[in-house]
Amino acid sequence: MPVTVPFSNPPRRPRRVRKLAPSLYRKLGSIAALLMLVLMAGCATPPPASDPDALADFKDTNDPLEPTNRVFYAVNNGLDMVILRPAAQAYVYLVPETVRAHTHNVLTNLGNPVQLINDILEAKPRRAGDTLMRLLVNTTIGVGGVFDVATGWGWPAHDSDAGMTLALWGLSDGPYLFLPILGPSNPRDGTGFGLDYAADPTSWIGVGTTVDILKYSKAGLGAIDARAEVLDSLDKITQQALDPYATIRSLYRQHRQSQIDDARSDNGATVPAWFPAPPAKPGAATP
Amino acid sequence: MNTRNEEHALMISSIRSGRRALLVASGLVWFAAAGTAVAGELSPDQATAFIDKTGKELMAAVNGSASADKKAAALTAIVDRAVDVTTIGRFCLGRFWRLATPQQQKEYLELFHRVLVLNITSKVGDYEGVTLTVQRAAPREDGIAVTTTVTRPNNAPNRVDWLVSSESGSPLVIDVIAEGTSLRLTQRNDYTAYLTHNNNDVQSLIDALKKQAAAPAG
Repeated sequence: MPVTVPFSNPPRRPRRVRKLAPSLYRKLGSIAALLMLVLMAGCATPPPASDPDALADFKDTNDPLEPTNRVFYAVNNGLDMVILRPAAQAYVYLVPETVRAHTHNVLTNLGNPVQLINDILEAKPRRAGDTLMRLLVNTTIGVGGVFDVATGWGWPAHDSDAGMTLALWGLSDGPYLFLPILGPSNPRDGTGFGLDYAADPTSWIGVGTTVDILKYSKAGLGAIDARAEVLDSLDKITQQALDPYATIRSLYRQHRQSQIDDARSDNGATVPAWFPAPPAKPGAATP
Repeated sequence: MNTRNEEHALMISSIRSGRRALLVASGLVWFAAAGTAVAGELSPDQATAFIDKTGKELMAAVNGSASADKKAAALTAIVDRAVDVTTIGRFCLGRFWRLATPQQQKEYLELFHRVLVLNITSKVGDYEGVTLTVQRAAPREDGIAVTTTVTRPNNAPNRVDWLVSSESGSPLVIDVIAEGTSLRLTQRNDYTAYLTHNNNDVQSLIDALKKQAAAPAG
């Protein structure tokens, strides 16, 4: 009956609001609690000015919240030991290599919309074009991202996220932060993580149990996939480093810097690999 | 730096003795030294050839059908031949090198070499099927960086840069930069953090390295 339609709709709307609002408040609450913790917790004492080398080291390390960071590192490590690492090990042990590779492809493809936004904001047309074509080709011909067809067709993958975008806009990284669950970061990259989350269509599209289950599965699978990728290297670091916390700090910084440098220097022509190359002009910049 | 200081001292002594000829001679020595530095400098082609050769040796060492022990021995020989372990070791100790006694420096370098070789050879089985292709070379502040692509089975190709310097007389690797992360810088940060949390006592690092050298990781 058409008369019932207007009455059947309104009750659904508040439900949607109720469903979204608490989760949003919970997230904001946890972020606020985290910030409070970080601010209240102890700061590292800089070495005295009489020891200029030590002071230079301290400035170079740029980790004024080191005592707090080390606590979070220990907590994360504990959680990793009992949850994520065994899960990743089981995943590697139980799931065949090909299935894992295709799962990784699907997850990467789901990240392409956010990557596209960042490529555009970074003013990198070639990279944006690559990402757009990767999204289109892999979603359709690659059957929902299961197969990475685009790489072979001349649209290779690259890294880009909001942290990198902010860096290319001239924002410096700020002091080192080791965030609970998220791990090594800094104010710039932490902000970038939030921006990427907000920009990701999959984080706000749709409601309902099925969508929630899919979302959590994606997050869980993403975490396990990412952890499985670094299973051996992280084991190696914890075994071989005298101070794994400092080693991870160093690796994270260097890796981010190299990602940013790669993005900054990637100014290639917007021509895919299969397109016949135009004759090189003398003196013209080659890709 | 040292040579410049020595030359400076020489100049002063020559002025004091009033022997103009010596002054000119010392000036010539200085120019000659600068000249050899330029002439002895490594060219990108030389560095590329060196990494190409070393890379082929590496692939031959780890990809054969030999036992793990034999492969480890071959790998150790290549490391000793192609890597400037002393320079890397000094770099990794950073500002603490000057704080260490000559005896500690000696002991540290020996241990550093042992631990480095152990870390490289302990997982020799994992390198099975590795291929290394030289891409290009570019000069950097302290040497020539030779970019290579390293591919392992079931892994995405990795970009690995080898920093080559001929400071010691012949071309030697002084750093390996994997996907933008410098191994020697990471190691230096590790040691610095460890020493900072152990009263800047070089002996504590030596003791820790002794443990590592005695019980190889994984």
